[in-house]
Amino acid sequence: MRAILVKAVADLRRRRVQAAVIFLTVLLAIATGTMALTLMSQTRDPYQAAFDAQKGAHLQVSFHASTDPQLLATTPGIIGASAAGGPYPATTLEFKHAGQRFNVETFGRDNPAGDVEVLKVTSGRWAQTNDEIVLTRSFSELNKISIGDRIKVVSVSTAPTLTVVGEVVDIDEGSADLSSPQHSWMLRSAVPALTTPELSYYVMVYRFGTDPTSTQLKGDVDRIRASLPPGSISGSINYLLIRNIFNITNQIVTSVLAAFSVFALAATVATVATLVTGIVISAYREIGIMRAVGFTPAGVVGVFALQVVLPALVACLVGIPAGTLLSQPLLANSSHALGLAFVPSFSIPLDLMLLAGGLVVVSLAATLPALRAGLLKPITAISIASAPRGTSGRWLRRLAGRLRLPRAVILGFGDAFARPLRTVLTLVTVLLGVATVVVAVGLPRSFELINNSETGAGNYQVVVNRSNAFPDGDVMRILNAQPETTRVVAIDGENIAVSGIADPVNTRLFRGDSSRLSYEIIAGRWFNGPGEVLAPAGFLRDAHVKIGDTFTGSLYGQNLQLRVVGEVYDISNLGHELFMDYATLPSSIPNSTPGTYWVTLRPGADVNAYIQRVAAAQPDLIDVQANNTSIIGPVKIIDSVLLAIAAVLVLIGIGGVFNMLLLNTRERIRDTATLKAVGMSPRQVMVMVAASAALLALVAGVMAMPLGLELHRVLNDVISTSTGNDTPPSVYGVFNPLELVAIPLLGVAVAVAAALIPGRWAARTNVVEVLHAE
Amino acid sequence: MSELVRLTDVTKVYQGGITGALNGVSVSVEKGEFTAIMGPSGSGKSTMLNLVAGLDRPTSGSVSVGGTDLGKLGEAGLARFRRDHIGFVFQFFYLLPNLTALENVLIPAQLKGSPGTERARDLLDQLGIKDVGDRYPARLSGGQQQRVAIARALINNPTLLLADEPTGALDTHSGEHVMELLGQLHRDGQTILLVTHDAKLATRNAARVLSVMDGKIVDDARLESPERAPSEVIRVRGEEASR
Repeated sequence: MRAILVKAVADLRRRRVQAAVIFLTVLLAIATGTMALTLMSQTRDPYQAAFDAQKGAHLQVSFHASTDPQLLATTPGIIGASAAGGPYPATTLEFKHAGQRFNVETFGRDNPAGDVEVLKVTSGRWAQTNDEIVLTRSFSELNKISIGDRIKVVSVSTAPTLTVVGEVVDIDEGSADLSSPQHSWMLRSAVPALTTPELSYYVMVYRFGTDPTSTQLKGDVDRIRASLPPGSISGSINYLLIRNIFNITNQIVTSVLAAFSVFALAATVATVATLVTGIVISAYREIGIMRAVGFTPAGVVGVFALQVVLPALVACLVGIPAGTLLSQPLLANSSHALGLAFVPSFSIPLDLMLLAGGLVVVSLAATLPALRAGLLKPITAISIASAPRGTSGRWLRRLAGRLRLPRAVILGFGDAFARPLRTVLTLVTVLLGVATVVVAVGLPRSFELINNSETGAGNYQVVVNRSNAFPDGDVMRILNAQPETTRVVAIDGENIAVSGIADPVNTRLFRGDSSRLSYEIIAGRWFNGPGEVLAPAGFLRDAHVKIGDTFTGSLYGQNLQLRVVGEVYDISNLGHELFMDYATLPSSIPNSTPGTYWVTLRPGADVNAYIQRVAAAQPDLIDVQANNTSIIGPVKIIDSVLLAIAAVLVLIGIGGVFNMLLLNTRERIRDTATLKAVGMSPRQVMVMVAASAALLALVAGVMAMPLGLELHRVLNDVISTSTGNDTPPSVYGVFNPLELVAIPLLGVAVAVAAALIPGRWAARTNVVEVLHAE
Repeated sequence: MSELVRLTDVTKVYQGGITGALNGVSVSVEKGEFTAIMGPSGSGKSTMLNLVAGLDRPTSGSVSVGGTDLGKLGEAGLARFRRDHIGFVFQFFYLLPNLTALENVLIPAQLKGSPGTERARDLLDQLGIKDVGDRYPARLSGGQQQRVAIARALINNPTLLLADEPTGALDTHSGEHVMELLGQLHRDGQTILLVTHDAKLATRNAARVLSVMDGKIVDDARLESPERAPSEVIRVRGEEASR
């Protein structure tokens, strides 16, 4: 055993470059895998821990202001809730801060404690007077509002000023960048002065002994509805939706990481196997000598396997802590969103499992080709010195010869396929790298496309929100008076109860020419008139309707006959959303007029000048902003994770090419010396080596494109499904034909760059030394 | 005849070497000569050949071939020089194993950018191996491999043919055949510089024999002159060996 170790360590010293390739490849793969598994194992716990610690509400229901609070107090008993909060008087509060207008749902609540929905105060304190307000931390951070800031309420004519005194974390709503409007809290006694009859409502929160299912929650809402006068319920939301909203980023990040960790692992296995095969092939004579001096076949295998396992072990010992560390910012982000104090979290059993798993995989990848060394007969090994090369590259050389390519290129092409197994393994590493690049290029664009469709980027430039105190007609008059105004689409929102769906469905009602908005329509068409609706796949699936079907919705106790004319992409509420014409609303619906206006300006118009002019027309009662089309934080996280993974796999791919070329050039050193002796110039030697790399990269690149495109499609589908949508066809087609050519060519360029060092070594071959050594 | 090769006060010291592989050697070779370099192992004969081929550089002194000072050429220039002016035949043939015999012969021509297929076939024909053009080296006998190597060396019509122990890895019969070929080439006007340790082979074809010992030329015998018979050269060679 000692002899095996001594020989393996001595060989490692001699093969430092190979050891470095193994170390780096395993390091990158194991660090990526550790990140993925750490995130997967740790991300679910913080939400659950916070939900339990803050006694999260399983169900939140809002009721019209006309509902009798005494009656509401009986609802927990009707549905068998173990604890309840409310009824809280609530209102939709509009306020201005630093020139911007915001909407929050404000609840009257005298303290943050209770049996349900405990609000964790992360800074400041709870409200103590009627002019104090508490906001969610994510809302404050997103909108740069600090404790002590004064905000001016504009939704009531008295326009009082409030002071922000605290920030809380509410486990019963998503973070501000994913969920809007956010909640806020004041004393119960403060609410009446800050609301109008049309803005008022009540909220009840319920908690059950065990986590209820979606079906159970739907039944609970139905029972509450049945116990109250028709139209009492204006909205409801359950913990499953909020949990999904919170988990969605992590789910996407971890599934992307997990998928590409498998890629990284496969590429590593291919590189290690290539390396060991190459070492064995070039060391026949040495193997023969080892056997001759007394190494057993197992001892020979051990020597070769150890040469790989030792650097791999070091890589694991560095990579696992590194991966754990790198996963901490993402975990911290999750904890921060929940208001948990971030405690760096890791799992020692998980890390040990990764260490063992990594070593087992690398050992297997090394041992299988090393068996070849162990099985060699000593005399054969000594006499033939190295494994004979086949003629696998012959057909390729002939083909290249017919194309009249320079001889150095032809020879390089032949070398690329001289060792078929080595070639296949290297192709795998390059293929995985290029496929990942395709995904890393495509997915952010798909996200951007969806973001643009959701935010109206390039479609409307200005968003106007009006106070209830300022009539819709006056807003339209101001906007239409501006010469730059091309189109105004007014938006209203309602919650419509639909049979089969637990919570009332958020509904967007459009007035004006909405057909030219940039929403992605997956199937069917945009609505042409009242009664026609579009919905995402999640709604269509859960309501058991399809395009062409008619269903009944209920709003304020009135039934609406709605016909599905299209499927639209919309991530709000995980696909539970309806889009329809404003004229669909019966005229008898109270207080339902659009409050938001999307304004399209004529090309070349000065957006800032427009905003200043319109805002100046009614500074207190309308808010005018440039349309914010920036990509939300979670998507940026996914984009950067993808970029990092692509970089990792590209590096592994480069390592694979480098490794193969290194083995080829060392194995062919005598041939290179001979070629130099008969007149091959150093430049031609480098061209020969580079041609070998270029051909491999080209073949892998061409094969990788369909794989990358398919992977891009699958990931888009996974992400769309997790947000309750089907993928719009346009999201798949984010590559232009030139790019589909450019990506493999870029791979070729990178491979040629990776070939420079082995090529230079080959070009510097000392003919006299090499041939003399023979 | 005009001078083709000139070594002037050439010294070559290998790294770590205490004594030089060549110690102040000066010699010239005329165009059309068949010169054999003889000497024991480590005497410096192969070093001389490598320096003339531009495969190695002298520690001091100069080497010129056809008026070209090789010391003034860079690596790429030396490669071009070898391609255009030198044909090299090695003891162990050094054919590229993954190319056929014909492809091996063609390599120098293709590196030069000239077609050469017809000439390659002619050479294989002349050397009596026209039927093995499509075979890989592993399927050729040692003699056949060496003849392919000679064809490769001749493909670009080299000014100078260098042969380093060309029969060293061959059986007697094949070795003699190879030497006959070299003799025929010389009779056709090819300048040849042959390294061998076999005095009989050297004197059979070479008109001039340089004996090298400890990095120095200790004898320069022109066999066509009446005063130096081959037997005398062989005797000198025998004395060297006994020292």
